[in-house]
Parts: sequence; C-alpha cells; structure tokens
Amino acid sequence: MLTQQMQKQKQLLLSWAAIQFSLLLLLQQAFAGWVIAIFALLLLYRLLSVFKAKAGISLKLVNLLAGIIAITFFLQLRQAGVLHFMLQILLLAATARLLALQHLYEARQLVWVHYFLIACCFILHQDMLIALFILLVFAVNLYSHYRLFSPPVSRLNWLQAGRSILIILPLWLAIFLLFPRLPPFWQIPNANIASTGLSDTLDPGSIEQLVQDDSLAFRVEFTDTLPPRQQLYWRARLYEDFDGRRWQVNALRQNASRQRAPDNAAASKDSSLSYRIIAEASQQTGLFALATPVTSSSNVFISPSGLLSSNKPVSQRLSYQVSSSLTPVVLVSEQEQQLNLRVPPGNPHTQQFAYQLKQQYPQSHELVQALAEHFRQQPFYYSLTPPTLGSNSIDAFLFDSRTGFCSHYASASAVILRHAGIAARVVGGYQGGNWHPQQGYLAVRQREAHAWVEYLHNGVWQPFDPTAAVAPDRILDSLDSALPEDERALLDPGWRQLVLLQNLRQQLMHLDYYWSVWVLGFNDNSQRQLWRTLYRHLPAMAYSAAVLFSIIIVVLLYLRLTQSGTDNTPQATKQLYRYLGKALATKPLSLSVSAFLLQCAKRYPAHDAYLKQLTALYEQALYKEDTEALNQLKQLLKCHKAELGRLRRAIKNT
Amino acid sequence: MPNLTLKQRLYQRYWQLISRYLDKRQPPADKVRLVQKLIFILPTRYGWWFVLLIALLYLLGTNYQNNLILLLCYLLLSVFLVNIVLAYQNMSGLTLQCQQAAEGFAGTDTTVTVNLSSDKKHFMLNMNFVRHNETVLLSQPATTASLNLTGTKRGKYTLPRIKITSQYPFGLWRAWSYVALAQPYWVYPAPDADKSAVNVAATDSSQQAKTDAGETLAPYRAGDSVRHMVWKRLARDPTNPVVRQQHFSAQAEPSWIVVPALSGDALERALRYACQQLLQLEQSGSSYGLKLPALTLPQAKGPQHLQRCLQELALC
Repeated sequence: MLTQQMQKQKQLLLSWAAIQFSLLLLLQQAFAGWVIAIFALLLLYRLLSVFKAKAGISLKLVNLLAGIIAITFFLQLRQAGVLHFMLQILLLAATARLLALQHLYEARQLVWVHYFLIACCFILHQDMLIALFILLVFAVNLYSHYRLFSPPVSRLNWLQAGRSILIILPLWLAIFLLFPRLPPFWQIPNANIASTGLSDTLDPGSIEQLVQDDSLAFRVEFTDTLPPRQQLYWRARLYEDFDGRRWQVNALRQNASRQRAPDNAAASKDSSLSYRIIAEASQQTGLFALATPVTSSSNVFISPSGLLSSNKPVSQRLSYQVSSSLTPVVLVSEQEQQLNLRVPPGNPHTQQFAYQLKQQYPQSHELVQALAEHFRQQPFYYSLTPPTLGSNSIDAFLFDSRTGFCSHYASASAVILRHAGIAARVVGGYQGGNWHPQQGYLAVRQREAHAWVEYLHNGVWQPFDPTAAVAPDRILDSLDSALPEDERALLDPGWRQLVLLQNLRQQLMHLDYYWSVWVLGFNDNSQRQLWRTLYRHLPAMAYSAAVLFSIIIVVLLYLRLTQSGTDNTPQATKQLYRYLGKALATKPLSLSVSAFLLQCAKRYPAHDAYLKQLTALYEQALYKEDTEALNQLKQLLKCHKAELGRLRRAIKNT
Repeated sequence: MPNLTLKQRLYQRYWQLISRYLDKRQPPADKVRLVQKLIFILPTRYGWWFVLLIALLYLLGTNYQNNLILLLCYLLLSVFLVNIVLAYQNMSGLTLQCQQAAEGFAGTDTTVTVNLSSDKKHFMLNMNFVRHNETVLLSQPATTASLNLTGTKRGKYTLPRIKITSQYPFGLWRAWSYVALAQPYWVYPAPDADKSAVNVAATDSSQQAKTDAGETLAPYRAGDSVRHMVWKRLARDPTNPVVRQQHFSAQAEPSWIVVPALSGDALERALRYACQQLLQLEQSGSSYGLKLPALTLPQAKGPQHLQRCLQELALC
C-alpha cells in the first residue's frame, strides 16, 4: 500500500515536472534568458530528487529562494511588462510549490495554478498545432487532478471516462456557441513582443528581408469573386518622409490613425468589393485593405487616408469585414499635398532627370507613363540582392547600378515625381496572394510584401507601380517567376522544395485556415447569426425532435412489451432450451423438464452420468436461484456439444 | 449545559433541526439504498476555488477577446458541471445494512460492521458516525466497513446516523448522505475484577459481627438500598450507618452471579464485577446463571447465553 502510494506520488511528480517544462517552453517568449535558466535549474533539481527518491526541499528554504527570485522579477518589471511579470510570478509559484511538495493534498493549489498558466499560454500562441499541444498539456493536468482524488491503484475507468466525454463535448460546444460574449471589460497589459511585418520605416533593404519570410500575413475571403491580380494591392503603410536614404511614416499619420473617416456615401455601390480579412498577430495596429475602404466592422477603424487600423496592437488573429470602393484614395487636405512635395537635398542627377521629364510631359499622368516606359526600356534589373548604394542613393540606383527591388523602384519614382512637382508618396503593403480555390481564400504571406507609389492627379491619389514596368511577372504571377533561377533558392530553403512536405504544409495551412475562421474568428457577430439561424429553424427542429422522441418512445414501449412476454422463463430453462430445444420438444406436457431429463437418462444409459449432472445443476439453478450453478450449467452445455448432438440424434431416432 | 460556547450551542441547535428533517426524510430502516432523495451534493472548498478559476479565465478570455481561453474556460465549466453527475453516480446504488447489533464494553471501542452491497463500483467513500470524528476511508469497492463507536455509559442505544461522503472523482463536489440503520448497539459494563468494590465487608467479615449466615455488615455507601439498613445500629451510632449485605463469593455460589438491588455508583460497581465474573465463567467453560433484582436467568453456557446475560447487565 505504501509503495503504491510512493509509486503514485512519483508518477504525479514527474507529470507535474513535465507540465512545468512544457509551460516553460510555451511561455519562453515571455521570459528573458536568465529567467528560463533559473526555472530549468529548479525543475532539473526537482527531477533529480524524484529519481533519487529524496523528499522535497524544506518549505523555509523554498520560500526564501522564491522570495529572492520574485524580488529580482519585480526589479525587472519595467522591462518585462505586467503580463510577463504575472506569468513569471505564477510559474515561480508553481515551481516553488513543486519543490516543497511533501504531501499530495498540498498539490491541489499546484494543479489550480497549472490550469491558469495553461490558459495563459493561449495569449501567446493560437496556432492550431501549438493549441493542440497546449490541450494535451491540459489533459495531462486534468489527469493528475483526477489522480489526486482517486484511489492509489485504480486504473482510469475508460467506460466512465468515455461516457463523461460524451456528455462534456456537447455541453462544452453549446456553452461556447451560446454563452453571451461580452466586450473587453478593461484595457489589459499587452506582451512586449517584437512586431512582425512592415515597419514604420522603409529601408532600401527592409522589404528584401521580409520576402524571405514565408509566414502568413493575412487571409482574405471575398464575398463575390476574386478580383484580378493586378488589383490586389493591399495598402498598409504610407511613407511620406524621406531623408535621402530611408522613408518614414509621418508623425501626423501615426496620431491621426485613430480618427474614423466620415462614411463616404458618395462611393458608387457597383464598384465596391466586400471581403473579410483574418490578420495574423503582428503586434502592430496597422491593417490591410484594398483601394478605398468604405465600411468596416466595428473592431477596426478607417483613417481618412484609406488605411485600416485596430485600436490596439494585433496580438492575436483578428478577423474583420471591409468593403472597398475600387477607386483611388481622395486627397484629404492641402497639408497632405504639401507634405508630399518635400524633397531632401542631394541626388543632383535625379533632379535634373525630373526637370527634363517635366518639360517633356507637363501632364502628370503622361509623365508617369514616360517614367514607366523609361524603366521598361532602359536596362533595369529586378533582384533580391542589389549592390549597396552610396550617399546619393537614388542617383546611384537610377544611373549606376540599375538593379534593385520594389522598394528601390518605388523610392526612386517617388523622388523623381516630387522633383517634377507632383505630390507623390511610397505605399507599403502586400501585392497579390496565393489563391486556394477549394477553400475559397487568398493567403497573403510576408513574401508578398511590396512597395509602390501614389501620385496626386486631379485630387485623387493615383497608384503607380514601377515594379510592374520592370518585372511584370511579379505582379501578374508571383515573386518566384520574376526572379532569376539562382535567386529563387534564397526564397526556398532546401526542405521546402520537397514536394511531399510542401503538400503537407499546404494541408496544414488549410486546416489552420478553418481553425482561424471557426474557432479563433468566432465572435459576437457570428454568435448572433447562429442565434438567428437557430430561430429560423426552430419549428423544424422542434418537429424533428418530437418525431425522434416519439420514435424512441414507441421502440421502448415495444421492447418493454416483448420483454415482459418472455421474461417469465427462468434463465436456466432458457439455457437448456437453447441447446436441447429439439429434444425437449418431444417432452409430454405433463412432465417437468428435470423429470424428462431423468427419464432420458434411464432410457439412454450412455448419457446417464452427463444427464444426471445436468439435471442436478439445473434444479439447483432453478430452485435455489444459485448463480454459481447457473454458470456451471452453461459451461457444461457449452463444453459437451458433441455429446448433446449424439443425445439429440438418439432421441430423434426413437 | 451552561459551559458551552455560543458556537457549540448553535451547532447543537442546527443538528436538532437537521436530524428532525432527516428523520422525516429517511426514518431508520434495516437496509438503506442510497437513492436520489438521500444524496446531498454541494461544492467542496476546492470546488469554489475551481469556480473562481473559471471566472478568472472568463475575464481573461473576454479581456483578450481570446476564443481559446474562453474554450478552455467552458471546458473546465462543463467538467465542473458533469462532476455533479459523476459524484452522484459514485454514491447512488450503494446499499448499507447492519446485520448484527454491535457490542462492546464501556470505555472501549465498539466496532460496528456495516455491510455494503452494490452492482456498481464505488471509490473513495468516507464513512463516519455523525458527531464522531473517526472516519473510515474505503478507497476501493468493499463489502464491509468497520466503524468504531466509543460508549462511555452502559446501555442499549440506537446507532447514530452514518455519514457517508465522497469527493470522487475530482474533489470538486462533495456528495454525502446521512444513513440511519434500525439497529441497536450495546455497551456493557466494563469488566472490573475489583471485588472489594462490590463488597468491602467480605474481606474483613471476621472482625465484623455476622448477623446471619451469608450476610455481612458493611458501611453504608451512597446507592445502597435503604431496605438493607441496620436501623438498630443507626440509632446507636448515627454517624456510621451500616447496611446488611448478602455475602456472595465465587466459592460460595460458583455458578450464580448475583447483582444485589443497589443503585447509583454501588450498582455500577456491582455490575462491573458481575461482568468480570460472567466473562471468567464463560471462559472456564462452566455453566452459570444470573440473578438480578428484577429477573433471573437460568443456568446455561455458551456465547449466546453470555450475550444475553451481558445485555441484561447493560439494561439493569
């Protein structure tokens, strides 16, 4: 008994240590390196002591240790942020409890804290696979919880567990689907995690880095049909400040993004496009939309310059509905125009080139056409690995290297246009995407990051993509086709080229899509819709439930009736009739079964011993209601089928 | 009971109410099967902590607008709710029966054997008598449970209610039931070999004047019958009352155990001595009879006779 207890305790200690290790892994991005090291050391020590069958450390020492570590955590509070601090303290509490654990009943608090920490993992991770892993950790914790309150040796009762799961699952789903969903109660601390995607500055090299990242940026579902690829310019950032080397988002824009643009009722309805975007966590507020967004769901804002943003950094997948009018963005103010006419000093060749163009083509759209023609006809190259440029970067690019990526072309074009007196800015965002016809969504990955130009013409910002002139394949097909063979390898690390893995990855991505639409994207809107559907089908459901119910009742009644008819025959008699039915059919009504059997025994001396044994057992089972005898009777009948057969034949022949 | 604190008094009052309610709901019976109306279920303290956890997770999930945290929260909620059913199932169907009246001597533990039967398996059952601290844990399905009662005064008592509780499987809900079994239990006088307690006079009878054969005089002690008072002596010496006592000893009347008509402390001492004698005689294998002031049990031997005699002693 004691050893069983020990065994159970060891098992549980190991499972808790495993849970804490996985929590450490899952929460690692919330912890600094030294924090992880401390936790790993503590856990390793505990594991060692479990294997050497030593008791836990004394409570006093653990408290002292935990106190010191907690104080260091507190001193680092500014750096870590409140959320991470909370996670650190919780995990510290759990680990300290595990270290000092002497009795199993003390482990209840441990299990409780584990539940909370496991839930916190979902703040940082929402990928389907990781979520499944977290659920697995949860299951282990639940099992250890069960073991705390179950007898030391018992095995899991699978039947009972299965039945409980059958009840829990529908209950769980029903609560999830129907329980009221509320808006957030208060502002919560967010994790300090490096943001991904486009940043507020556009270096010559920043997009090249981004396109080597194969991770998903967002997914789009279109209400109607997929628009042609050339129209899929997902605007995300406006770069309006240029210092001669890098482009930056203007400070005004950063503040103004909170304002909601007045609804443009004037936008023509026929050219509008409605779609839903599921954006991946980027830790940024900026979101994506096509052309001029007109209306959106309430969780995102439309700024006057046609950019979408959420009110707080996107720390988990965000789903929103937008409808866009496929017309260029309208000029907001005079100030905006002035902002986009400033040019930095330097780049004299570019300036000269711009003046020449201006003289040749006084109309702005003609000038842009000519510029595109210039890129198309002169030997310009599209490349992921452009040479480094000097101080006059635009000059060096336009007249010297002539090799660059979309950001180089966009940047150069915007500068030329500004020198020519046309307000122009660089737009950062994504172009194109991967269409999955079966699942019906467009996957836009970071590698689709792109930069292009908008110039002011007749009070609207006309888009102009110089890359389309240099490498039209980039726009019409994909980045891969626009790049030379040797540079494609940069995009694809070796394992990604395996077809099988590629397929698997695709399938996983589709699954992940459904996961994000149905699980992560389920919100009060979808809930309301579900309610409405339920309400609409209420009569039908009621009818079918009534029909089903009455069928069940009829079947039950039928079973009841038929059972009561046969139930009078005792079990022992039934058994005899099962094996000796034909022989017993010759029995005269006046004789009892046992009398008949004894008669047979007399008549067929070959079976005498067997029949007597049978009769004795039968009588015992019938009159004494002895279950043991009944079982023996069954055995006797089952094991002597040959003898029974001979007996039957003998009775039949006489 | 003046020296009880308010809390204890309130507790007593509460128990009176509860037992009145329980007596109506489940009057004592020979065989009690735990059915729905006998099982009570409420969350344990850990269960309330669990509710707090669920509430915290709901807050966390709502504030972060995180469906996965909400899902986990609802999963815990459904586990919590289903546990009501599981806790109930672990109790229901259990049949308790006490076939034999328990017996024991005053001051020692009386072991009550309760037979358990069921067509299901029940785990982690805690059993104790109401208002007795000692509990028995049946972690595995069992057919009997032995519970101890400590009786301080001899007599025949009805079994107190048995409290049977279980927190299986997750310790979130406590299912419990108070079961009253219609079975008495006996507390016999504690055997005591102190013969002088019964008859001090017997030892110094030689010095005392013998008034009659088989009778001695002894100083009066509280509880001695007034009928045996030697009134003449009392008149002579009012400070030292003397009573006439029947002289009985194992030698004189080996197979008759006589308990004189006494009361109070003296009777208790006589009963304790008689109990000791009964046990000795039964052990030596001779037959014996019991003479009580009110009734006489004829001579016999065997465990049943012993039990009968002891029961009469307890009731005396």
